[in-house]
Amino acid sequence: METNGHSLKEQIKNMMVENLMLKITAADITDELPLFGPGGLGLDSVDALQLVVALDKNFGVKIRDPQAAREVLRNVTTIVQAVEQKLAA
Amino acid sequence: MSARVILVTGANGGLGRAIARIFLQESVQNFVWLGVHTRQDQARKLLGEFPERCQCVELDVTQAATWQRTVDRILKAHDRLDVLVNNAGRHADGLLATMPAQAWDEVLAANLHSAFHGCQAVLPAMISQRGGRIINIASLSALLAPPGQTNYAAAKAGLVALTQSLAKEVARLNITVNAVCPGFIETEALGGMSIEERQAAQAKVPMRRFGRPEEVAAAVRFLACSEASYITGSVLKVDGGVL
Repeated sequence: METNGHSLKEQIKNMMVENLMLKITAADITDELPLFGPGGLGLDSVDALQLVVALDKNFGVKIRDPQAAREVLRNVTTIVQAVEQKLAA
Repeated sequence: MSARVILVTGANGGLGRAIARIFLQESVQNFVWLGVHTRQDQARKLLGEFPERCQCVELDVTQAATWQRTVDRILKAHDRLDVLVNNAGRHADGLLATMPAQAWDEVLAANLHSAFHGCQAVLPAMISQRGGRIINIASLSALLAPPGQTNYAAAKAGLVALTQSLAKEVARLNITVNAVCPGFIETEALGGMSIEERQAAQAKVPMRRFGRPEEVAAAVRFLACSEASYITGSVLKVDGGVL
């Protein structure tokens, strides 16, 4: 899905880099890279909180509880799916 | 100093009004929302004193829904919320052995659960705007635990612990969370004391006097100001040296 010349994936990756002040670029975040846990991007629960707030602010995606957050914030692909569901609704 | 949007709960009481006033006097660009519930007659006097810079808002601090409505209203008006002062609270003193469960529940709700709801309501905005200040008004009772106040002391001690724990959670988000513990402060809360009780209480204070609401408000304002940017999770007593 394209918005303003940037794909939704790119927007989300840029949002992550900016909001979480990551020391990597958006291009370094692969779509299936786990955001949490070993072998992943290394985010923690406070990062998850920031992502939840940013997704609500930028896309209107409401993540109501920790279980839902775990599902949506698995990786960039799952985040994109959640945003696309919201936009289609 | 840039304009700030401040929400003070329990704004009808002496301490709440003093806190609101000090932020209104700090800068002509500040806007203060006065959280009130059952009474707002005293808070409304601030509207006359500082026209167009403050507003009363009906807020039952024990209810998450009213918190959300209040924060939504503030964000709609200003698109930001910089400072939350959880000042609302209440007493229902008595010995634990004969304390009605309602007295326990209501005091915990008004003094502790309220802060949980309030912090939860304001944090998304503070996270989004990359900064904020939360000041929780606890009490010397949290630290001294006087007899006859198991409910109040437990609630305020819980508030101190909530402050310290939450401070660690949001520290890297540029949000500070601190507690102020007032001692005996000359407000309506002391209105029921007899002259003998007042004298006995003052004798316990090394400064030999009760504190003024403005002195507590000054501590709150300090914790909210830019000079306090590295202070979080702290407990600031304003007690004339009691503890």
